Amino acid sequence: MGFPYSEVSWSVVDGAMFIGWGSSLPAITTAISAVICLWVLIEGNRSEHKRFAKFEGK
Amino acid sequence: MEEQLAELAAQVAALEGASAVTNSMFAETFYYLSIPLMVLIHAGFLAYEMGASRLKNVLSSGVKNILAFAFMIPTFYFFGWWVYWAFPTGITLSAGPAGISGAEYASSIALGWGDAAQYMGPNIADQASGVFFGAFALFAATTASIMSGAVIERIQTVGFVILAIVLGSFAWVVAAAWGWHADGWLVTKFGVHDFGAAGLVHAVAGFFGLGVLINLGPRIGKFNADGSANNIAGHNMPLTLVGLMMIIVGFFGFLMACVIVPGESWSWFADQPATIYGTPITLSALSFNILMGIAGGIIGTWIFTKDPFWMMSGALAGIISTASGLDIYFPGMTFIIAFGAGAILAPCANWLQKRGIDDAVGAVTVHGTIGLYGVVMLGVFASGWPALQGAAGEVATISLWGQIVGAVVFGLLGFVPGYAVSWILKKANMLRIPEAAELAGMDTVKVPIQGYPEGIPASATPAE
Repeated sequence: MGFPYSEVSWSVVDGAMFIGWGSSLPAITTAISAVICLWVLIEGNRSEHKRFAKFEGK
Repeated sequence: MEEQLAELAAQVAALEGASAVTNSMFAETFYYLSIPLMVLIHAGFLAYEMGASRLKNVLSSGVKNILAFAFMIPTFYFFGWWVYWAFPTGITLSAGPAGISGAEYASSIALGWGDAAQYMGPNIADQASGVFFGAFALFAATTASIMSGAVIERIQTVGFVILAIVLGSFAWVVAAAWGWHADGWLVTKFGVHDFGAAGLVHAVAGFFGLGVLINLGPRIGKFNADGSANNIAGHNMPLTLVGLMMIIVGFFGFLMACVIVPGESWSWFADQPATIYGTPITLSALSFNILMGIAGGIIGTWIFTKDPFWMMSGALAGIISTASGLDIYFPGMTFIIAFGAGAILAPCANWLQKRGIDDAVGAVTVHGTIGLYGVVMLGVFASGWPALQGAAGEVATISLWGQIVGAVVFGLLGFVPGYAVSWILKKANMLRIPEAAELAGMDTVKVPIQGYPEGIPASATPAE
């Protein structure tokens, strides 16, 4: 990702200073993080129930 | 002469600039250091719950607690922080008189996308948002940990994590918006004062746990056919006691994070610290009262139980019972209120147990009941005091009625979502583990390693 200020110098940075500032990257990474959390809960639940079933000999 | 004056003015300006930098770094460091201290609360709950679990469940209790922390942080980032700033005036999400609330304001500072993202990531011009977010996220993790202990040894992991998210990233946050934020309607309309979050953290979490316990049911073997209860002892009481002490250490961080430091653009004052309501507070006040609260709680439980588990729980209860007024209580009064909390702790837990509630660690009583007791006690002793910065008549004042209203709202904000979401999870078969798994032990079923692979050897010392 490109430097988020018009001049590529730390001396002009006076606010946000993260990769992707001013672009759609923060929204994309936030959304992907949320999807990962959701997926882990769904997959974790499936795995947990699979273990229960295996344990009960079903 | 003019040159000297100009030089003097330049020196004064430089000194002011240096002072501002020092103050900003102090403010940022103040909240930053409260975060690892609050992580100690979580470490303490981890030890506490694992010690209170039987050997067959020790690691699964730990996994559950660790996951609660892990999911609390991102979900609080995704929406919990937004809820705090959006909800103060109620469900209308409108702006309040202080101008720092409502959906529009929240969307401008607390979302991880768009222009608001500048306040939700590294920013050289913003030394406050990240540390405030961190402190609040740890408050959220504390609520999840409180509920976590009550439900050990029979709850499904994912079902628990969902409950933790609802509690930590929504339910208590709404309570904080209503009863802690300067625009909160409980504060502005009823004069609710809850400096150290006895109600809006502890009571909410405790009663959320009660709602879950009703749907979850007791552990197998907890109650006999005639309704009498059996004691299900944890495998390591010393670990539980050390965990409780770590929680107490962490609460010094929790309570210091409730102080607004002076001298910043977002501070209440340039020259004195304030509570979140803008009323005066000092760390010295906290030092006096937290320590006296701990002592009162321990002594109150010891005289009636002689049980070290309840003594350490009494220490927590001592802090919680006085948390609402740690800013204004006199230490002697703190001791008396905390002693009272310690004295009623075990009887309240026994009362709950007689009604078929299996609260494995007494969380509903220690945090829920004592949290409400603390909120109401401030109404008894501080009626007429301004609840916010300002004079009586200009701002709402603390009253017994207002504190009771606050206590009821906090209790309901915990109980209703706790009961409703756990009921849904129960219907979806995501709440309780199967009976066979519970009897065998959750570690055997779903944890790939053993807590004590070499066993716990008995003492070689011959019996005397």
